[in-house]
Amino acid sequence: MAHDWQPDFERLVDEHQSMVYSLALRMTGDRGLAEEIAQDVFLELDRHLRKIESPEHACFWLRRVAMSRSTDALRKRRVRGMDLWVALEDQHGLAAEEKSSALGIRLEYLMTTLPESQRAALVLRYQEDLLPEEIAAILNAPVATVKSHLQRGLKLLRAKAASQLKEFIRGA
Amino acid sequence: MDEFEQELKQALERRPAPPSLKRKVMARRARSSEPAHPFLWMRLAASIVIVLLLGGGVRWQIEKQQEKRRGEEARQQVFTALRITSQALNQVKIRLAAHDRKPEE
Repeated sequence: MAHDWQPDFERLVDEHQSMVYSLALRMTGDRGLAEEIAQDVFLELDRHLRKIESPEHACFWLRRVAMSRSTDALRKRRVRGMDLWVALEDQHGLAAEEKSSALGIRLEYLMTTLPESQRAALVLRYQEDLLPEEIAAILNAPVATVKSHLQRGLKLLRAKAASQLKEFIRGA
Repeated sequence: MDEFEQELKQALERRPAPPSLKRKVMARRARSSEPAHPFLWMRLAASIVIVLLLGGGVRWQIEKQQEKRRGEEARQQVFTALRITSQALNQVKIRLAAHDRKPEE
């Protein structure tokens, strides 16, 4: 396929580092690990740069590899995201700009307690604003499965929020 | 999208990447494009020299064995020629002896 677009690695890093880092962070709940994953993803992009055909392809590729590497990292560590999240908050605290919404922080925290497949679907749906069909393509899963993960994940998150975040929901 | 989903969407807004991320990526990229080992060419050259020396040694050994075999063959040919010559001389000697006896008869 002929295409005039020439990938510029440094520019791709500039444009997508926040997306890749955030996906890895939401999946692992570990800032250090998320940064390592993001580095690995971009270095892998560099190795596959010739195969990238357009800016949209680059974005799709980065999302897919970031999700895949995050899942691999979680399996390797065999540590639950919730524990890591708590440890990080205790040890390092959150940056000032991240303290804007207490309810948001708690929701983010509750997200890390969801099963991995539901968390992946919800992160792509609400962080990246993707449709179930697009999420299915990234996760290489059937659309029906993705829709199921979205529904169940959202239901579980609502239940957890209702039982644990009453004061925040009232205050919101 | 209901209120809860809106809240979730806000909570899951992209976080800015650490300022060091890009620098680290570019540094690792630069490192990975460098030769795997600064002395790789020296190792390669040493390996080539060793292979050539071993190859030369083996070839020298083979040639030496071939030469030895050729020498042995030549020696055998000389012995065979000497045997044939000796037999011919014996026959000549026998014929001469027979010829010398005839006048006496």
